[in-house]
Amino acid sequence: MLAQQYTAFHQAIRENGIILSFSGFVSEKVMFSLGEVLRARMQQEETDTGIAKRVFSIFVEQAQNVIRYSANRIAKEPTPPLSAGMIIVGIEEGRFFVVCGNEVLRRDVPVLQGRLDLLAGMNAEELKAHYRVKLKEPPEEGSLGGSIGLIEIVRRASAPVEFDFQDVGADLSFFCLKAYI
Amino acid sequence: MDRILLEATDRSPKVDFDFAGGRFALEGEAYPEDAAAFFGPLLQGLKQHVQAQPAAAIRFDVALSYFNSSSAKALMNLFMVLEEAAAAGAAVAIGWHYQEGDDSLQEAGEDFSADFTHARFEMIETPA
Repeated sequence: MLAQQYTAFHQAIRENGIILSFSGFVSEKVMFSLGEVLRARMQQEETDTGIAKRVFSIFVEQAQNVIRYSANRIAKEPTPPLSAGMIIVGIEEGRFFVVCGNEVLRRDVPVLQGRLDLLAGMNAEELKAHYRVKLKEPPEEGSLGGSIGLIEIVRRASAPVEFDFQDVGADLSFFCLKAYI
Repeated sequence: MDRILLEATDRSPKVDFDFAGGRFALEGEAYPEDAAAFFGPLLQGLKQHVQAQPAAAIRFDVALSYFNSSSAKALMNLFMVLEEAAAAGAAVAIGWHYQEGDDSLQEAGEDFSADFTHARFEMIETPA
């Protein structure tokens, strides 16, 4: 029974081309270790160095967004802050993808949506120019530098990023962002 | 000012800020757990140095193989101090080291170089 139950779970992960999947509380150390595994895996598979660097870069920005902006975040000294979320890296039709998901406050959705819509509508040159402007600006209110992280993800992706929100209860919304490399 | 010498870690670069010698270097990977805590003292040190010795020549070498977006912001802050010092008359040169074939880092260097008009920004390719 037990093996059968989890075989289905294991199988579903495999069938979706997932090479790394984490769901639960993420800390900086968890992110670092997952990144180490991801890099080792790409090295073993002899992934093109340029692609491997872009996958890693998007993975880090995505994971740090979960850590910084998950609405389900526990910061209780002396333990390091823990942020609930989901990090998935996989391969679909020969292309790597990185998906992250975490809860955000419903009232923050329009701002995030607006920011992503703006980036999604930019071409490579516009993204580059926008990135440079943001690098020089003091951080936006409530931001820990994450707006630059989103630009980085959109710039490094090889196709337009996909994103979506799903309301969870009255105050929260589940935010998902998928980037192909 | 006292030299800042930090060994590289798994996720932060080797740092050598030799204020007396006017030589500064960052080398390795940069995605520290807390970018503000890591880069803050470096930015403060550089600012104080430039204020105390506005005419001193500066050589700043960056040989990072990877940096995250928080570190990119910190680099920009350091570079803005260097460009201001150069605008005020100091001889400032930045060396941007990247491995041959590393398009991301080459492009990042080219992007940063566009913000310098007074300081010299050299792109230095190292063989793969």
